[in-house]
Amino acid sequence: MKKIFTNLSVWVVFCLLSLNVAFAQNVTVQGRVTDAADGTALPGVSVVLKGTQTAVQSDANGNYSISAPGTGTLVFSFVGYASKEAAINAQTTLNITLTSSSQELEQVVVVGYGTQRKLDVTGSVATVKGEDITKQPSTNPISALQGRVAGVSIANNATPGASPQITIRGTGTIYGNTGVLYVVDGVWYDDISFLNPADVASISVLKDASSQSIYGIRAANGVVLVTTVRGKNGKPTINYNGTVGAQHVTNPVEMTNASEYATAVNEAYAIQGAAPLFANTNLGEGTDWYDQVLRTAMINNHQLSVNGGTDKSSYNLSLGFLDQDGIISTNNFKRYTAKLSNDFQLMEALKVGYNVTGTASRSANVPNSIFRALYTASPVVPVFKAPGAYGDPSDFNLGNGSNVNPQATLDFNNSRTDRYRVTGNVFAELKFLKNFTFRTSFGGDFGQDDIRNYTPQYFATRGQNTNISTLSVGRVATRNWIIENTLTYNNTWEDHNLTVLAGQTAQRFRSYTMTGTAQNVPFNRESDLYLSLGNSAGRTIEDSGSLSTAASYFGRVNYSFKNKYLLNASLRADGASQFYGGNNLWGYFPSIGGGWVVSNEDFMKDQTIFSNLKLRASWGKVGNAGVPINPTTLTVTQIPALIAFYGGIQNTGASINTLVPPALFWERSAGLDVGLEMGFFEGKLNVEADYYSRKTEQAIFNIPILGSLGTSNSRLLGNQADFRNRGVELVATWADKTSTGFGYTISGNVGYNDNVVLNVTSGSNPIDAGGDGLNNAVLPTRTVVGQPIGSFYGYQVTGIIQTAAEAAASGITGARPGDFRYADLNGDGRIDAKDKTFLGNPNPRFNYGLNTNFTYKNFDLTVDLQGVAGVELFNANLGNRFGNENYTKEFFDNRWTGGGSSNTYPSTSLAGGQNNQTNSFYVESGDYLRVRNLQLGYNLPSALVTKWKMQRLRVFANAQNAFNFFSYRGFTPEVGGAPTSTGVDFRVYPLYATYNIGLNVTF
Amino acid sequence: MKTTHSISWQKLGAACLFTIILGASSCKDSFLDVDPQGQQVATEFWKTEADATKAVNAIYANLRSWENVAFPALVIESTPSDEADKGSTPTDATFFNLFDQFTVGSTEGSLQSFWTGQYRNINFCNQVLDNIPGITMNEGLKSRYLGEAKFVRAYSYFRLVRAYGGVPLRLHIPKDNSEYNLPRATRQEVYAQIEKDLTEAAAILPASYPATDVGRATKGAALGLLAKVSMYQQKWTEVQNYTNQVMGLGYNLFPDFEKLFRVENENSVESVFEIQAEFVAGNNAANNSQYSQVQGVAGVPAGGWGFNTPSASLINSFEPGDPRRDATILFPGERTPQGDLIPTTVPNIGYNQKSYVPFSRFVSGNQGAEQNIRVLRFAEILLMNAEAANELGNTTQALTSLNRVRARARGTATGVLPDVTTTDKAALRAAIWRERQSELALESDRYFDVVRQGRAAEVFGPKGWKANKNEVWPIPQQEIDLSGSLLTQNPGY
Repeated sequence: MKKIFTNLSVWVVFCLLSLNVAFAQNVTVQGRVTDAADGTALPGVSVVLKGTQTAVQSDANGNYSISAPGTGTLVFSFVGYASKEAAINAQTTLNITLTSSSQELEQVVVVGYGTQRKLDVTGSVATVKGEDITKQPSTNPISALQGRVAGVSIANNATPGASPQITIRGTGTIYGNTGVLYVVDGVWYDDISFLNPADVASISVLKDASSQSIYGIRAANGVVLVTTVRGKNGKPTINYNGTVGAQHVTNPVEMTNASEYATAVNEAYAIQGAAPLFANTNLGEGTDWYDQVLRTAMINNHQLSVNGGTDKSSYNLSLGFLDQDGIISTNNFKRYTAKLSNDFQLMEALKVGYNVTGTASRSANVPNSIFRALYTASPVVPVFKAPGAYGDPSDFNLGNGSNVNPQATLDFNNSRTDRYRVTGNVFAELKFLKNFTFRTSFGGDFGQDDIRNYTPQYFATRGQNTNISTLSVGRVATRNWIIENTLTYNNTWEDHNLTVLAGQTAQRFRSYTMTGTAQNVPFNRESDLYLSLGNSAGRTIEDSGSLSTAASYFGRVNYSFKNKYLLNASLRADGASQFYGGNNLWGYFPSIGGGWVVSNEDFMKDQTIFSNLKLRASWGKVGNAGVPINPTTLTVTQIPALIAFYGGIQNTGASINTLVPPALFWERSAGLDVGLEMGFFEGKLNVEADYYSRKTEQAIFNIPILGSLGTSNSRLLGNQADFRNRGVELVATWADKTSTGFGYTISGNVGYNDNVVLNVTSGSNPIDAGGDGLNNAVLPTRTVVGQPIGSFYGYQVTGIIQTAAEAAASGITGARPGDFRYADLNGDGRIDAKDKTFLGNPNPRFNYGLNTNFTYKNFDLTVDLQGVAGVELFNANLGNRFGNENYTKEFFDNRWTGGGSSNTYPSTSLAGGQNNQTNSFYVESGDYLRVRNLQLGYNLPSALVTKWKMQRLRVFANAQNAFNFFSYRGFTPEVGGAPTSTGVDFRVYPLYATYNIGLNVTF
Repeated sequence: MKTTHSISWQKLGAACLFTIILGASSCKDSFLDVDPQGQQVATEFWKTEADATKAVNAIYANLRSWENVAFPALVIESTPSDEADKGSTPTDATFFNLFDQFTVGSTEGSLQSFWTGQYRNINFCNQVLDNIPGITMNEGLKSRYLGEAKFVRAYSYFRLVRAYGGVPLRLHIPKDNSEYNLPRATRQEVYAQIEKDLTEAAAILPASYPATDVGRATKGAALGLLAKVSMYQQKWTEVQNYTNQVMGLGYNLFPDFEKLFRVENENSVESVFEIQAEFVAGNNAANNSQYSQVQGVAGVPAGGWGFNTPSASLINSFEPGDPRRDATILFPGERTPQGDLIPTTVPNIGYNQKSYVPFSRFVSGNQGAEQNIRVLRFAEILLMNAEAANELGNTTQALTSLNRVRARARGTATGVLPDVTTTDKAALRAAIWRERQSELALESDRYFDVVRQGRAAEVFGPKGWKANKNEVWPIPQQEIDLSGSLLTQNPGY
């Protein structure tokens, strides 16, 4: 790779030196760009001197100023509006109105390695503008997409600072890197939580295989392209956006009180044949642990940006600060972001620029176990039994299932994660020979995470104490880079429009992790928390690293004829180090797409129904190299668990206790997309419909292997399965503005996806999973031919066993009255694994959203609804029991208390017999509908604002997740999870609503 | 700088195109050849004596794993007997009851865990047995290492054959996936292999080790296990022969029965084979033995989880005044010789004192992680010797060996545990069996001992044990499924 740099630098220098730029006599052209419909100023409109790189942008008031030859032509383009060309003809003032009437087709959309007019796109690409993202009170830009893009399913993680999980058109891959690819200004990321939503100019979601295909190697789960805000030509504009708000839990689950709990436990003991644990069950309310630990939490979010430039250079500097308290006390997340971008038009043909983002965040963590602990903690245990003395579950002999005082867990938890990240790119773009553009870009992503945990020496309860303090310090360093070179040829002649792209990229991903622990570190002040202050004996240190590389070549042809007939084709070849050493190093990913703009045909001229009618179809292949590094290399295991002791002395142990697959192939997906785009009523109503079918071939899975192999890995990686995602999407948008100044947009979208496993190479072996953290090796999901990935699998409950006679006849070993009765599906008179069946699908079949926006004079109102339907969840919190965990009030009120008392709810002896096996009782509908966002804004009158030397002053109030409608018995139906354990609700941060008031100021 | 406009553009274009091509061509496949970071690749292993040493260490280390010493082992080898109950609170880890009440089905997770745990031992042994012969190293050490691996492999197969009957006999690392799936060998074939491994190990292994190697398998361990394996097959001549050999190796009974099980008396003169465990400050990954923790006193910070507790039947089974009753069971309200007071509020009638580590020794991590697991003691060698001698009609030797065990148990107490004097074969057999119950209580011997004595229906019947079914546990269902039903299920499951 060194060679690339050398070559590049030599030639770039050469290019610069050999430039000879002559400018014709120029005039300064000024003007204002406004919306043709309502006359409002259009800021950020790109004004380009045709045939050159000279370009400026309109300022916040729509004004622009450009130096250009009097004979030239200016091209005005803006996302969402039709581009317009205007000859200068020696004028110095050119006021331009842009019309959004045919916006659907003329819109410029960001696609892989370039932009296209929406007209020319033959795949399925959804674009969300930055202003729609900043309107959402989300702290993560991806979270703001929820409900806005058909076919995109987003499960938010409510932990402050955590990234949401995004799924595009169903689960595309199961193993390894199952996330989408984010490309921010040309640099690839797995996660963009470092990005301040206010810095986003637009997001393009590449949904179909043909548009993803240009990102071959990493496109299997979809691609999200993010363009950030860059400097605009004009006076410096200062923007301030700020919100202050409060967050509060919305749908708390009511647990039993002390008296009810004691009653429930005594009933369970009686069923187990044991004496009652509580002699007196009249214990009053006891402790409400959720009430004890949850709080109304503050959130502060402020952004300040400066933007401006000349026609030779532009800049954008933005600073952000987020301070979010978690609704669990002691939980807090702070994020500081700074982003700077500069563009320099060095010469008429040469533009260079850079873009750098620095992020620092600090998270005061709460242990993941707290969510489970709050659910299981017994209400009979007081928070404190005496001043300074924690209530102790052992005082009540509650056993292992409920042996935690959650307040003590939080009080003795000292866990902090600091993340630092600097990322961005530098680029140079050269136009030559009129039609060619060469662009080279180098992007880097450098991160460091510091994770620090300190457990003091303490005694809280008999189950929560330690005789020695422990400090653990972890450092994770990331050093990734990507280099990209592209050459674009673009030409329009007569009725032909042709763009040809050729490119090459190389990437390297490197990470280092080092973790050290020491005991007996004193802690009087923060500055004590260093490993070297601890005991020198018993220190541990572990380090590990990973390195992978990828090299890629790609090309694409876009051709359109008379703006009616469209053809796009691309091919990408990727080599990935993960597949080195076999015959599968390179993967090839082609795509092809065609379109027909019917409305541009002559025979459509006289019809008035359609303002736009376009048919498109495309096909493409994408790959997935997201498998472990060096997956087929057998390595030696040398871990502390293999240390042998002879005479009390440690002896390092090492051996080979794993199996690796002999070879792995590229996992590939091939997808077809057929779309129909229609505009009615002069473009007021736009409808877009898509059908897609994507098949993942030779998907990489970890499948169980025989225990008698004696390996430490109970699973083996291999190309094991084929599966398919198939569905339809529909988007309809109505936008209009009345003569009275009332403007509105109503946009609805719905996506339906059907996920099914088509084939499992290894035969009928099922892939059971989803049991992480659950007891007794319960694996609630199964992936098998004919069913969706990760379907819930277990017993079908047919009722509750009422009598001893029924128990004896139930076929369930050890059954007692009050236990679940399971369906004997194979009719052999006994209930065993052969009677398990599919109980639900954790992959949402429907995702939908309704986004509305109303403006009247100075007021604006946004109401966004969002929901999912046709999805099931596994309520693992309810059924995963070791002993005397608490019960929900709802369960307690409906429980079986004796023959005939209930035929749907079992006795409180949930941990007994076969009751905690995966069964249909624990599988519930995860459908929900929520008011995702409500926002009311008011722009102060411009007369007043101008007097204050401002351009704009808007005040607003918003509410996120304020109203939620669902039947699920947990805290939130928004559960997420890895593909084979999606929808397993075990330790989920409770859902909360956020209420903000805010201010937008522009100077 | 006076080159004409158009030429400069063309040059530039050509230059940039050239850059791409060069960039492309320089990016050879070697850029994609990266090594695993921080991990030794397997092809670099098995080269030196140090590699051999590490691989043998791994064998011993794995013996203290969860599957070998904690829940999976206890539910299969201990709790189902009449000497132990589930323990803890009634609603905690109720799957123990499935074993304790003989209602377990083939899908229960512990069946798979115990199975896999034993095969992991076997894999570590097979790695050594297949690879060490090719290493250039001290030949004496090499053959000893092979002997040690054979001992642990035999021990693991013995635990498997007791638990499941015939199992797949995996004696080499599979070369490729055609060797992954093996059918069940017969019970006899498994026993034959165990005997072969132990005989070969006994011929090689030393009778003892220097202090820095104490804990490795010895000749006595191999012969002692061979005796036990023979006893399970009623090969009484062999039992007598092997136990006589062990008795000639210098072992003796440790004088104080209670102190025998304390940390400071590990690897005592009575120890024939112990699984070694230690507490290493700060290294919880090496402090991974949970043998003591899972059986420790519930509700006490340095105690444990309180499982596999002594049953009322065990408590009542001791002869009057037998000091072993108090040395075997921690009773609520008792103050231990080490000064710990067992609270009266604990949820169970007692706890296993043989796994007990005094509370004051607890620092952090798993309670009692330092407690060795006594696998084979000289007392059991004597009892096997007594049983074989009685079966072979050598009553005098039987009484001598038996009474030696009773004498130690008696210690300084008087008027208790009188010498057994009966010469009636059946009565003496019953006395030896009873002695085994008292001497080896809560050492994971009782369950399979009663089964091999052929009286499980009588002893465990009231708990639900059924003949022609419960002699063995079911083969794990997942293992049968993954074998494509090449593995067959045991009768009755």
